[in-house]
Amino acid sequence: MQAAVLTLAGSELALVRGRSLGVPLSEADLAMERYAAGDDGAFAAVYDGVAPRLYGFLLRQTRDKARAEDVLQQTLLQIHRARSRFLPGAEVMPWAFAIARRLLVDSLRRGKREVLADDGELDPGRDAGPGADEVAQARELAVRIDRVLAKLPQSQRAAFELIKNEGLSVAEAAQVLGTTVAAVKLRAHRAYEALRAALGDVIGGLEGGES
Amino acid sequence: MSASPSPVPPGDMRDRVLAAVRGEPVATRDQGRRRDVLVLAIGFALSVGISVYLGGPGASLPPGYTALLGAAWLLVGVVATWEGVARGRSMLGRPAVVRVLVAVLTPLALLVTAMGAALAWPETLATPATIEAHVVCVVFTMLFALGPLVAFAIVRRGSDPVAPRLTGAAIGAASGAWGALGIELHCGHASAMHVLVGHVAPVVLLTLVGVLVGDRVIALQRTP
Repeated sequence: MQAAVLTLAGSELALVRGRSLGVPLSEADLAMERYAAGDDGAFAAVYDGVAPRLYGFLLRQTRDKARAEDVLQQTLLQIHRARSRFLPGAEVMPWAFAIARRLLVDSLRRGKREVLADDGELDPGRDAGPGADEVAQARELAVRIDRVLAKLPQSQRAAFELIKNEGLSVAEAAQVLGTTVAAVKLRAHRAYEALRAALGDVIGGLEGGES
Repeated sequence: MSASPSPVPPGDMRDRVLAAVRGEPVATRDQGRRRDVLVLAIGFALSVGISVYLGGPGASLPPGYTALLGAAWLLVGVVATWEGVARGRSMLGRPAVVRVLVAVLTPLALLVTAMGAALAWPETLATPATIEAHVVCVVFTMLFALGPLVAFAIVRRGSDPVAPRLTGAAIGAASGAWGALGIELHCGHASAMHVLVGHVAPVVLLTLVGVLVGDRVIALQRTP
């Protein structure tokens, strides 16, 4: 009964935000709202909504499965500990990405960064994504993109991935990265140009996706 | 364009995280709000206590001047707190530019409003202030600001994963505005030099202290 009331409250919140900002709340947002309001069981839904995207982001940033798992776990615990501070109607994902990125930077500063594979490619044995290799051509393209992104400065890679891979708006990415909208646009553009230079043969067909 | 599909976290990760969450109960939002209100009430009560200890307003200034400037600095404190300490609608707080503006404009607003009030009572500008008077106001501005600063820091501790120093600077400036208001109600001097040294300079100092508080307290802390 309580869960139903909380779900209803979350739905109303989504409607309010949808009306006022034109941005519907995601499942993760609604789950976090229920969790902050007192539904202890809602954190499982928060995990389900947040963890896969965060893990993909962290794995692409670190290319280190152990570190990505460690930072993911820390990030989720930070989200849990911020339960009492979660703002009604706030979005979870930009905040979660910001926490993950901060913890990742701290982790890397502690000096345990492992050397990338010589070809900059993810170790297939460590990439546990089921369904990632369904089409050989897509796999090859993904590997080539990963290789190019791995050579970019971390700031450009993060900006590009937050916008292109994770679907954040430029403004949200700017908040996550703690910089200006103009700087994020520039970083993402430079990353895109690097991809265009390296993958000119195939990127032409994808150009319509750039915004 | 997408570099590659998102990998899936290890199967046992979910169980581990949920077990850790169950093993570490935390306050709900309502409980957190009650705690924050209590912390803020204690912080501001400390300032009120100091004010009561100091007694009435400075006798050498017109009551109208003190009331007008008090109202103006109250407004500065409220705006600085709302824009610099509260997070608005985002878990990441207000945009960085807002926090920069709070840190920079708060001391400026205090100075400009003090000069504006003094122009309405020009005789106040002629009242000389000694170095001792400057020092007393600096010390009491810091004392008045201490309660709000600690309360703001507790309320926002570990909450900023992006720019904690900037948030700390805004919090320092906001608490400085409250400190300036506290001593203004008791101060008997209104010369430009005294306002600058005795009232505005400590707010700048508190803004810098806030940077340190941001780094040490407000920044997201990784737990072992």
